[in-house]
Amino acid sequence: MDKKGYYGKFGGQFIAESLMNALEELDKAFESALKDPAFIKECQYYLKEYVGRETPLYYAKRLSAEYGARIYLKREDLNHTGAHKINNVIGQILLAKRMGKKKVIAETGAGQHGVATATGAALFDMECTVFMGEEDMKRQALNVMRMEMLGAKVVSVRSGSNTLKDATNEAIRTWAKMAEDTMYVIGSAVGPYPYPKIVKEFQSVISREAKKQFFEAEHRLPDVVMACVGGGSNSIGMFADFIEEKGVELIGVEAAGKGIETGEHAAAMEEGRLGTLHGMKSYLLQDEDGNIKLAHSISAGLDYPGVGPEHAYLKDTKRAEYVSITDTEAMDALLELCRLEGIIPAIESAHALAYAKKKAKTMTKEQAMIVCLSGRGDKDVQTVADYLLQ
Amino acid sequence: MNRIEEKMALLQKKKEKAFITYLTAGLPDLDGTKALIKAQEEAGVDVVELGIPFSDPIADGPVIQEASYQSICRGTNLRSVFALMKEIREEGVEIPVIFMMYYNTILNYGIEAFAAKCRETGVDGLIVPDLPFEEQEELRSALEPLEGAILIQLVSPVSKERVPMILKNARGFVYCVSSMGVTGQAGIFHQEILKYLSYVKENAKIPVMMGFGIRTPNDIAPMKDIIDGAIVGSYFIRLLEEHEYSIGAAKEYCRNFKQELVLGGCCYEDND
Repeated sequence: MDKKGYYGKFGGQFIAESLMNALEELDKAFESALKDPAFIKECQYYLKEYVGRETPLYYAKRLSAEYGARIYLKREDLNHTGAHKINNVIGQILLAKRMGKKKVIAETGAGQHGVATATGAALFDMECTVFMGEEDMKRQALNVMRMEMLGAKVVSVRSGSNTLKDATNEAIRTWAKMAEDTMYVIGSAVGPYPYPKIVKEFQSVISREAKKQFFEAEHRLPDVVMACVGGGSNSIGMFADFIEEKGVELIGVEAAGKGIETGEHAAAMEEGRLGTLHGMKSYLLQDEDGNIKLAHSISAGLDYPGVGPEHAYLKDTKRAEYVSITDTEAMDALLELCRLEGIIPAIESAHALAYAKKKAKTMTKEQAMIVCLSGRGDKDVQTVADYLLQ
Repeated sequence: MNRIEEKMALLQKKKEKAFITYLTAGLPDLDGTKALIKAQEEAGVDVVELGIPFSDPIADGPVIQEASYQSICRGTNLRSVFALMKEIREEGVEIPVIFMMYYNTILNYGIEAFAAKCRETGVDGLIVPDLPFEEQEELRSALEPLEGAILIQLVSPVSKERVPMILKNARGFVYCVSSMGVTGQAGIFHQEILKYLSYVKENAKIPVMMGFGIRTPNDIAPMKDIIDGAIVGSYFIRLLEEHEYSIGAAKEYCRNFKQELVLGGCCYEDND
């Protein structure tokens, strides 16, 4: 990190003055929490006893045979609430508690982060409000119900595209009003500093475990590590402990939606236009006037027009490669995993699987890759059904 | 000398409070905006803030969000507003104009080109609500050598120990955000508003303006001895919408508000 809060030229704090002290308070609390063994112990306790970590690193034998390389799946779908999102929520809510906050707010796209935040809020007895785009509420009705059952208030956001970007705007606006007693639990590796750092820290458990597990299985490092990228939380967590291992190829998979050439996609890296949104400077989808373009992806969790600043930096420094996968390719991979391994993955995670198939073709049978299976696909069954009917 | 600073000096000499309005550029259309700016100058408005519409206005409440959205739909962009500025300056409009805009719009235009265009078209100041003090260096270093537009500094009720840093080299006036959060939360000010405004006033070498949530002179009656002027945004936009952008209605509201500020009393009767 160069200038405070920056990853190269990416990151920073492009946010209202009224939130600057709140961010400073959060950064101090976070840094002191990390140095406090009691805090770390408490995090670890809940991750083990409540979330169910560690998650398996599963050698997908039939998938490997089909694709032509040794494929390991990091089973984040087996976490409590069904995705990696809970890792970060446990950390951030414990941090909120430590800071004396009584309320939490969150934005959500697919609903996984919303469900995770509602879960954490119930567990630690906090008032929880989740902002969700109206369009996403329709696509993910089941998750809306789950959040409400968990005691959270779900606020439907009707502005702009009615998706994750607008839900994030509304969460930031609300946080600006309530920062004095409210913690904003950001679910992705985005937002103003220190959020990208916090989310990475709490998600890095994914790669810490995977590295150890892979070593136990293969007595070496993997050749490739792969994850899907929306804002980039599961991927930054999956990359974290491998970034310094220069021999490990890191690949982030964005959503190409209906195809990059159609303009209806969510691949912010692909266009590579620098801008500021949601408190950060990073690559964003934008039109010629500098307005943020609507992202498109069949997966609500990848339907975001930006990307976390550290990913932008990893791309710029060529430490990681970013590619994209269309809706169709992702759906094919999703169904393939169901049939070959008896695992129903989230559509988000299926993007990584679809690229794993392509990547494996360039690898030998002995080479190995870890794919982050960031979430389970139960929430997507309706979307899959609609897709198959088309 | 910068038009804003010139105006502030004049008001100080006259011991008169400033009245500043905000309107979203491009509503009802660019010609309408032009007419509204001229009308406001005639009605005695001291400074006009022109909102450059952006797709994701995170510091704005529903009224300005909606106005911004409408304006984008009508095709307004930074280039067309620069063209508007050039025209009004050529037509002799001398009222100080501040662009209120989000940083991405500037980055997209190119910082250097943007600074030059501000200078060329007679933009006097900038309010960029998502560009806090720590992130301003790049923009400031493009603006300063040109001696064109100045950056107006915002402070909030929770800025506290940040205030002296923010105000150290601030120019024009200080924009005191009256409440936490976004624009347009009518009449709801932060609970410690008077203490906060006094603190800012003590630290400021330049005039202190209050904005966010102001509708009528009555709203600022409790702090009229502290502040040097008021900024009305969302309420003014709604008023314009309700009166179908009638120049007459805009003029009447502005003239009355300014008059109340000049008289020093705050007993303006709200007609609504």
